[in-house]
Amino acid sequence: MMATALKWSRHNLFGKPFDALLTLTVVPGVLWLIYEAVAWALSTAQWDIIPQSMRVLMIGVFPADQVWRTWVAAMIIAALTGAALGSVFAFRVRHAGFLAVALAALVVATGVSDPGNLLYLAASLALFIGGWALTSRVPFSHKFLMPACFVGLIAIFAVMAPPGAGLWGGLLLSILLTLVTSIVTLPIGILLAFGRRSRFSSVRWICTAYIEVMRSVPLIMVVYWIWILMPVLTPQFDFADVVRGMIGFTVFYAAYVAEYVRSGLQAVPRGQTEAARSLGMSEFDINRSIVLPQAIRVVVPPLVGNVLDIFNNAPLVFIIGLTDFLRAGQMILANPQYGDRTYEVYSFLFVTYFLVGSVITFVARKLEAHLARGSR
Amino acid sequence: MNADQAADLMVDSERLAARRRRNRIRYHGTQLAIVGVAVVLVVLFAVAVKEGLARHGIRFSFSFLGNAAGFDISEGKTVVLDNGFWPALAAFSSDLTIAQAFVTGILNTIKVAVLAIVLSTVLGTLLGVGRLSTNWVIRNLCFWCVEFVRNTPLLIQLVFWYFAVVLHFPPIATAAKFYGVVISQQGLYFPAFAWQGGDAPFAIALAAAFCVALVGAFVEKIRPFRWACVAVLVAVPVVMFLAGFVELDFPVASRFNASGGVGMSPEMAALLLAIVFNSASYIAEIVRGSIDALPKGQWEAAASLGLGRRNTVNDIILPQVFRVVLPSFGNQYISLTKNTALGIAIGYPDLFNIYGTIANQTGHSLEGIVIVMVSYLILSWIISAVVGWADRRMASHGAAR
Repeated sequence: MMATALKWSRHNLFGKPFDALLTLTVVPGVLWLIYEAVAWALSTAQWDIIPQSMRVLMIGVFPADQVWRTWVAAMIIAALTGAALGSVFAFRVRHAGFLAVALAALVVATGVSDPGNLLYLAASLALFIGGWALTSRVPFSHKFLMPACFVGLIAIFAVMAPPGAGLWGGLLLSILLTLVTSIVTLPIGILLAFGRRSRFSSVRWICTAYIEVMRSVPLIMVVYWIWILMPVLTPQFDFADVVRGMIGFTVFYAAYVAEYVRSGLQAVPRGQTEAARSLGMSEFDINRSIVLPQAIRVVVPPLVGNVLDIFNNAPLVFIIGLTDFLRAGQMILANPQYGDRTYEVYSFLFVTYFLVGSVITFVARKLEAHLARGSR
Repeated sequence: MNADQAADLMVDSERLAARRRRNRIRYHGTQLAIVGVAVVLVVLFAVAVKEGLARHGIRFSFSFLGNAAGFDISEGKTVVLDNGFWPALAAFSSDLTIAQAFVTGILNTIKVAVLAIVLSTVLGTLLGVGRLSTNWVIRNLCFWCVEFVRNTPLLIQLVFWYFAVVLHFPPIATAAKFYGVVISQQGLYFPAFAWQGGDAPFAIALAAAFCVALVGAFVEKIRPFRWACVAVLVAVPVVMFLAGFVELDFPVASRFNASGGVGMSPEMAALLLAIVFNSASYIAEIVRGSIDALPKGQWEAAASLGLGRRNTVNDIILPQVFRVVLPSFGNQYISLTKNTALGIAIGYPDLFNIYGTIANQTGHSLEGIVIVMVSYLILSWIISAVVGWADRRMASHGAAR
């Protein structure tokens, strides 16, 4: 044991004089940082602020007696993400068990004790696992995934709208924004990508110009621009800020999705199109049932990465006055009573963002490996 | 071939020609229809915007650019016309025009973007190479830093750097000082080179030689001349220092502010820190990806020649990596430049922030958006043109990819 450890450290820490020097300078520094952080987290930090303000962090200023609506939305989201996951990864009971244990650990860590909330949480988990099992066990259900997503989105809007769309906020708003944007940009992006390789040079020009312009301006500007432009263009409809924000995100990210899809379209060998043409298929059929399925297969991992990108940029909606997860945290800190809890709140925000981001990155990497294995 | 068949052939070719003609007409007709629809849509859009604005009592025009701004900008220079003819840089003040306020914003954006591009390239390359280190601690440290930064939003990093780090620096009266660098919550101050040569001809000649050599070191195609330029680049500053034409100007902290040296506002410091660390992580990922993509034979060949790991990385791997990563770096530089627009979250007066102020003050938000959009487009084009030029240059210098 000792010998192995020595050998390992000889190899990995002190392999060369330069390595030894690096190890000797970096390790004490890192250890000191970790010690300071842990000491702060265990003794100085006052974590009671997190459970106290959990509701604001999760759903913003949504009225407390309407919380069930947000839970219904959370359940729909859970079922949809489960179903999306299941269409790629096979369902395993041990994975579901692991998920349940992880969620239980999370509940203990954050101190959620309200029985109603626990029940809702369990129901969300059950729906997630149910959706996952359904799509992975019944391949036939894949066909309904995209329509189900749209129906689910509409259901979420219908459930959440009555108290007023201006009240949406917190982590739920970030997730909703991500979900809506990533689902709605997909068809638009595919159309734009095909438009960029159209037979007609005019269509090509228009699509290219749109994509290139959107890719060279900042997202925050597009969101703000759509937000001020929409009331000017359509004074008869009074769109809520949330909807305008979602439209802004969609307008921006459609260009990115189009570029990903285009790279996938280019990866489809020419022989596929030529073979289909020689069978007498029409151009539309070729694109729909020969080219697109193969292209989508290639671009799924980058598209999942794009979802992470959307989620990471969701806090930019502060520019149009929405209270997303980050803004909710800042709102809590703006309360003079909690002015000295900066590091506690930011730690919680960072950890949550990092956990969500890591899960999405992990899924993207697994998908890449999974799909690469299939194509060999 | 009898006459009948010949006639058939004639008819066939005529029919073919007719079909081709029909197809061509149909193609151009569709083309025309698409263009027509697009034009109509744009016109409808313009009319709707114009009417919408008219309802709010605003006329779409760019004449507001010439009006006096009437607001102040916390930092930044703008272009003023000295004696009405020579353009010169001067601090912005509220009696200057709105166009000059936009210029201040563009210059502030460029200032942060250029600094961030340089710093993040260096840091990112170090992180990317660090992820392939033989040292377990360094490898994992780099990996987790990159993962953490890439999986959290830039905005939270930015507000964290500003509210939780930079604003918690000591006040300037008790500022931390390292070798002439003053770090305080009122800003960061660095030693700077100060011109002491006045208008002595010899000093100006030296400075001009330095500038020419700087350009030459990058664009000169002939190798000995390029090395000569580099030699001049090293020699001239030494001479200027010895002759006292250039001096190091150290910042001196007083009770409320610091004088001398180059100052950086806390907002700019936070924005720069956030963007540099964020971009460096993405650049590290690009570098690591390209190193992984190199054929394993390169490592093996280097090893079989008896090269050490450091020599292999420095002389075999990195030169090849830099030939392929430049386009990806260019994309990252563009996205970095766009990310400077987040400065509005902490009050750094970049282009987008100043646009917000102008839109609030004048109500001309749509005209402003056009200006901002065009500015970002031009910045992106400049970056991709420069990176493309560097890429072609690299390619012309060296081996096939």
